[in-house]
Amino acid sequence: MSANLSTMRHVHGFDLVKPLSLAAMIAIMLPLILLPLASIFIFGTSKGLTSFWHALTAPEAIFALQLSLVTSFWATLFNVIFGLFAAYVLSKYNFWGRNALFVIISLPTAIPTAVAGFSLLLLWGPFGILGQYLPPEMQIMFTPYAIILANIFVTFPLAFGVIKPVFDTMSHSFEEASATMGATRWQTFWHITLPGLRGAIFSGALLTFARSVGEFGSTILVSGNLAGRTQTAPLYIFAKFNEGQVEAANAIAIVLAIFSFLIFSILFFARDWLEAE
Amino acid sequence: MGNATQEKQIAVSVRNVSKKFGKTPVLEDINFEVAEGETIVLLGASGSGKTTILRIIAGLETPDSGSVVLHGKDVTNLPARQRGTGVIFQSYALFPKMTVEKNIGYGLRLRGTPRNEIKESVKRLIELVHLEEHSHKRPSQLSGGQQQRVAIARALAYNPEVLLFDEPFGALDAQIRTTLRREIRALLKSINVPSIFITHDQEEALELGDRIGVLNSGHLEQIDTPFNVYNKPETEFVATFLGAANLLIGVVYEGKIALEKTYLQAREEAKEFQNGQSVKIVFRPEDVFLRKPENLVQNYQELAGGTVEEVNFVGAFERVIVRLDTSTRQPIIVTRPKTETLIFPLETGQKVTAGLVRFRVIPNFTLASERAGKIL
Repeated sequence: MSANLSTMRHVHGFDLVKPLSLAAMIAIMLPLILLPLASIFIFGTSKGLTSFWHALTAPEAIFALQLSLVTSFWATLFNVIFGLFAAYVLSKYNFWGRNALFVIISLPTAIPTAVAGFSLLLLWGPFGILGQYLPPEMQIMFTPYAIILANIFVTFPLAFGVIKPVFDTMSHSFEEASATMGATRWQTFWHITLPGLRGAIFSGALLTFARSVGEFGSTILVSGNLAGRTQTAPLYIFAKFNEGQVEAANAIAIVLAIFSFLIFSILFFARDWLEAE
Repeated sequence: MGNATQEKQIAVSVRNVSKKFGKTPVLEDINFEVAEGETIVLLGASGSGKTTILRIIAGLETPDSGSVVLHGKDVTNLPARQRGTGVIFQSYALFPKMTVEKNIGYGLRLRGTPRNEIKESVKRLIELVHLEEHSHKRPSQLSGGQQQRVAIARALAYNPEVLLFDEPFGALDAQIRTTLRREIRALLKSINVPSIFITHDQEEALELGDRIGVLNSGHLEQIDTPFNVYNKPETEFVATFLGAANLLIGVVYEGKIALEKTYLQAREEAKEFQNGQSVKIVFRPEDVFLRKPENLVQNYQELAGGTVEEVNFVGAFERVIVRLDTSTRQPIIVTRPKTETLIFPLETGQKVTAGLVRFRVIPNFTLASERAGKIL
């Protein structure tokens, strides 16, 4: 039977499996991915754009979006610089325990975000291992700083993971050439190594930023979820939904969805361009 | 006289350099000097230590003992960036994110040279290596040969103490290789910068070097002019590594080398040896003349009679294998130019007498450990 089918296909020059498998793929994705995404847009704009705009420009909503962007920015800045540094050390030097360090840096991806938030609380919370020694005015938990800490924790390996492989494949002879031409280590890093990592740094930063903006599990524990003070965009969605204000939640959900979509489009389409540059 | 002293001015000297990687010795007591404007080629197989010498001179590797002196200054303990050598890496290592101009100007930029001076130097160098229309391109947009010229210009920009070429033709097609070799040779002669090449290609070595140093497992076996290295090899390794060579075992006896029934006159060569010492005589395939047994002219020293075993036409010349009538019945390789093959055509099985135009006598180390050399 299958033999017949394959001869038929051959004769007609038409591969029946192609449209069938495509259709099956989309059918599976529809209820799982596509429809849920579409429903935020359908629902969010069902009462007209004015009401959507109104929900979006509510002061608490704007604050939540801003807080998300600002905390994510700092977390990204830190993790990109640290990732660059760690990638440099781990690529350049061979030492005992190198693999162990590599695993530890990569670990946060495998830890549930709620556990990450919880562990930060246990360390820095008012009764935490270190937090108990901090004077009240310097407590960091339940402040925007806690959100930055949580973001750093959960996105820790992302930039490193993108930069390290590029570092590894970078030819050692560039550095040697630069040294023989008279460059100090720092000059070589600045003029030769860093430009070669531009693409990786950019991708790593975008990835870290996107992941930070969306972080929920750890931030809900460490931020205190105080509206207008420590409430990030995902927390806002959760809070508004709990209060029954679905429209308010929906407006921010749309913004976050579009934002992620944009970042991943840039990552996807800009990759070739970045590598060529 | 003034010319002679100038010729003797030493640009680079490598003194008693030894190096081990772990427990493996890579270089053992390497000594040589490069005169101002001279080109030295270090020739050796992979693993002979030639790259390590280059890296030690550049400061990318530190020797365990010995020193490197550049224009009279001991630089052994200076880092690479303070030595001012110009390295042309095998992969060229051109900075991919910089244009040709930027690559060439990089060394000057590091030295804080004013912008307009850099611009002028770069322009002059680009003209020197004929890359005028490529100055704004990235390295990836250039051919292998063009990249190599950028690498040379880049190293020349800061007036290097010495140019160090690490297998510079390794990444190129055989055809381009020959052309580039000549171009570089001409360029080096015109700028008069001392340079050291490393290669495993004997043809390249013979063509490029004012002198050739032959390396064998970390030993510098011989360093001399291409003519002498080829025609007067001092060791078996040198003889067999540069071109084909025939080797026969003999015994020194009062200014002669005894080879079973015949004696070869060897007054000069035999001086270095004692009577009764076992030696090897080395001769190139083109240094053998074949004649009918009765016709051997006296200009050649008679070696032995033999039987033609194989005659092969290999383009420009003919290669003949003759099995000698000695007790070991050793085969030798003989090459003959076309003119010769017309005068005296040969057939398999034919009886001939072999005469030598030129040969070399070297000590016969019976143990392989004494000198690692190929046995033909």
